Amino acid sequence: MVIASPGELATTAPRFLPRDRFDELIAALGEGGRRVVGPTIADGAIVFADLGSAADLPGGWTLQTSPGRARLERLPEGPGEARTFQYTVSGEGIKRFTFPSRVDALSMETADDGTVRVRVEAPADPAPLAIVGARACDLAALAVHDRVLVGGPAVDPDYAARRRDLLIVAVECALASSTCFCASMGTGPEVTTGADLVLNELDDGFVIRAATPAGERVLTTVDDLRPATGDQAEAGAAQTAAARAAMGTAAIPANPRDLLLANLDHPRWDVVAERCIACANCTLACPTCFCTGLEVHSGFDAAASSATRAWDSCFTEGFAQIAGGSFRPRHRDRYRQWLTHKFATWWDQFGTSGCIGCGRCIAWCPVGIDVREELNEIAAAPAAAPPTTALVAPALPQIVAGLDGAPDPLAFSPATVVAVTPETADTTTLRLETADPRILAGTPGQFVMVGVPAFAIPPISISRFQPDGIELTIRAAGAATSFLTRLRKGATLGLRGPLGRGWPVEDARGRDVVIVGGGIGLAPLRPVIDAVLRERDRYEDVRIYLGARTPRDRLFVEEIDALAARDDVLVRVTVDRAGPEWLGRVGIVTQLFKTVRGTGADATAFICGPERMMSATADVLGDLGVPREHMWLTLERHMECGVGLCGHCQLGTRFVCRDGPVFSLAELGDDLRREGL
Amino acid sequence: MDVVMRAGAGAAGGAAGIGPAGGGGAPGHATGRATAPRRPRVGVVKFASCDGCQLTILDVEDHLLEIAERFEIVEFAEATSRRSSGPFDVLLVEGSIATPEQVVEIARLRAEAKLLVTIGACATAGGIQALRTAAEHEAFRAAVYPVPAYVDSLATARPVSEFVHVDAELRGCPISPEQLLELLISLATGRRPQLPDQAVCLECKRRGIPCVVVARGLPCLGPVTRTGCGAICPAFGRGCYGCFGPREGANTSGYADALVSGAAAGDPNGIGGPGRDPVDVGRLFAGFNGATAPMRSVTDALGGRPIQPLRPTLASPPETLPEGPPRWGAPPEPPAPSTTEDPDGPRR
Repeated sequence: MVIASPGELATTAPRFLPRDRFDELIAALGEGGRRVVGPTIADGAIVFADLGSAADLPGGWTLQTSPGRARLERLPEGPGEARTFQYTVSGEGIKRFTFPSRVDALSMETADDGTVRVRVEAPADPAPLAIVGARACDLAALAVHDRVLVGGPAVDPDYAARRRDLLIVAVECALASSTCFCASMGTGPEVTTGADLVLNELDDGFVIRAATPAGERVLTTVDDLRPATGDQAEAGAAQTAAARAAMGTAAIPANPRDLLLANLDHPRWDVVAERCIACANCTLACPTCFCTGLEVHSGFDAAASSATRAWDSCFTEGFAQIAGGSFRPRHRDRYRQWLTHKFATWWDQFGTSGCIGCGRCIAWCPVGIDVREELNEIAAAPAAAPPTTALVAPALPQIVAGLDGAPDPLAFSPATVVAVTPETADTTTLRLETADPRILAGTPGQFVMVGVPAFAIPPISISRFQPDGIELTIRAAGAATSFLTRLRKGATLGLRGPLGRGWPVEDARGRDVVIVGGGIGLAPLRPVIDAVLRERDRYEDVRIYLGARTPRDRLFVEEIDALAARDDVLVRVTVDRAGPEWLGRVGIVTQLFKTVRGTGADATAFICGPERMMSATADVLGDLGVPREHMWLTLERHMECGVGLCGHCQLGTRFVCRDGPVFSLAELGDDLRREGL
Repeated sequence: MDVVMRAGAGAAGGAAGIGPAGGGGAPGHATGRATAPRRPRVGVVKFASCDGCQLTILDVEDHLLEIAERFEIVEFAEATSRRSSGPFDVLLVEGSIATPEQVVEIARLRAEAKLLVTIGACATAGGIQALRTAAEHEAFRAAVYPVPAYVDSLATARPVSEFVHVDAELRGCPISPEQLLELLISLATGRRPQLPDQAVCLECKRRGIPCVVVARGLPCLGPVTRTGCGAICPAFGRGCYGCFGPREGANTSGYADALVSGAAAGDPNGIGGPGRDPVDVGRLFAGFNGATAPMRSVTDALGGRPIQPLRPTLASPPETLPEGPPRWGAPPEPPAPSTTEDPDGPRR
């Protein structure tokens, strides 16, 4: 794989390609059947498309961009009137070629014998591609995508396949638009990495230099290229230097990460929300945005269905939607998510800025919102003291190159329903048999993605580990979960997992254990109870507090009653409301634990339930002295990939699916209670 | 989704009761499905509408046989002479409620239908005829009909949901055949129909269509309109008409401000130009879904209610119009009549 950065530019002598010989370069790039794409004029804009010849390039045109505008204009008459790359950034850059807007993701089939298979579509095997006319910012964006999509623990196989054999002819910008700020982001306008060939356009042709052996090979197939003269090389460099000077290097505050994270409640968010129409254009024009969603398709014959992965955006309500509603209902929440992700939390997640300074989000915003202005407004009147430290990229592991040998976290394995236990009117426990060693080796608090034909694929917490499988306790909250609760013994489904970071049960060893569950929240806690009881003598005092809406909504009733009969575990159950037949407690779960043993400092708490209940529980336990770093809770967010690739479950700096879903209160800090995050 | 699926449990809840698979099971799944299921009875009825949405049902040609296999079409005047007064498992309702008879009829049909689905902008939002809601009903009637007294119409044309409970909506003018199919498949299989409540912009970007606002300065309702059409209009180089109605949280006032001020969007006069005529902008929002609150708030604020004065017709010579200018709600300053106005929409 050539995912790894090509490194520093080799120094081969630059040559000069006369303007009327550009077709020869295109032909050289296309040798061996390589597809050649580059900027063209289409639909009133500059759009990357297949190049037949140099005549397809936007010769004689420029693109005037300003906030909310990107208009084609003829180049003024004069010596430079025929220039080909005399504009800055095209509408959508080159993202589509490595990260298409829609790719086939899954096929889900029911075989004749009733067995369900969920298969991950094989990565595309695209023809080798050459891209002409990428800019420094485009290459910086590609490097960011490398980091995000193949540089982490999970690899996007489709991206890796498309990225594998890419030949890039970059152009160093000869001018800067008012929307450009790459010089401030340290990404341009000079092309320093990521290209095979680099062009500097002059009035009569191009200074062209090879940056990689592959680029040099292309150059050698173009006959008879003379070395560029010193004057030509200088002229090329001079206009790029002029572009840099025109942009300046201080378009945005020096440390946007610390600035934004300190100002999550700044009044400016309300101001921008009045203008922001949440149309999502900024995110979709952004060359680094990577969030995607699954679209499930089926015909009337639901035995066969498929899922497509499509570009998604944090500006939609559905993006942060779970059964109970959206976590970001307001435009203010969504704009804040976009800006803080791009300029702040991206650093925590990927060790780079998410913004590379191309300015597309400014030009292609229909109402002309300028991210630079928003950042500077907050910096000018910060609600919290502006940080003085420089932004230092965290040390990250080297990009993992290649897929070979690594277990594929996106693959599904089959499982069979061997027992069905109705728990309440809307909740059912499925006991599943699986031979997948990864799932069997899961830990308490982890979850699996559950796939059946024709339905969305929900994340479900594992409610018990068995020697030959797992149990899932599922509440019918939507169509997919309703379907799952109606499955019968013998049905098969696809499981993907185990995913996420579970409960650190070992944190409680030698300590008091407090387990607090609300409603369906007991399900992910059940493996904790199992683990603690399996080695009961390794833990001190064990107390379990459970709440349910009504007596009929209690889960695992017999098991809990049996637990309550033990003398080495304290069990307390309460319900929100009940009829006269209920002899137990009525009230909220936080009323159950007026005391913990001793000071509470020796206790580890595991909490799961609705977020409001968890936060109230954490308050009470905190007052009783339980340390924040020993209070663990598990969060629910919209999840589609489960491995930090689709972006839906972000909470501040975290991917809930990958970094959680279990977090300590100390890790979450104020984010637990911050609305709209 | 919650906006679309008015039934608490969503279509799946309703579907569980009507679907051929009983509990809504994918074939081969051991979900305990009933044997030899009865095909759900489907009716298609219309009120004040152009029949375009009904024709869209006939347009899903490749799937008509599949639909007929799974659903029993018992009432569909556009397609069959077979008639039924109910009961219906699924009733697709086209058109807005515009006459006193229709008020009675929709209530009767609701009682006969397990699941009532409105199809199209008229049934869902009032449609283009709902423009009269904010206008002079009598003037309209007098302008169009030789003997207005023969016409018994309500002063308003209203969405079905203002009269009876609606379980699901298909938006559009007309509806999208793909979304119709998605709804029927979801009903048959028990899954939730994917009718995303997102801006048209997402589809433009996925399709690689350069934004017509930014690149061409065209007025486009895409940012505040729900997707579902596949971004047809921008794909042909023109602005979105808003057929699918307002998307969730449509910030129409913010968008209208930008269109008017010329601070950014759609400035027809080029960079640095003075912005748009507010009445043009108000009129942009007064289309098929102009009667919905997010759209109407803009038209109310900026003006641009229906063409004025009403154009004289052969049937209704100018002298039969009431004295004085018609009253159109309360636009700030009605502009002078202009012969250059394009009744089909705002000028580019």
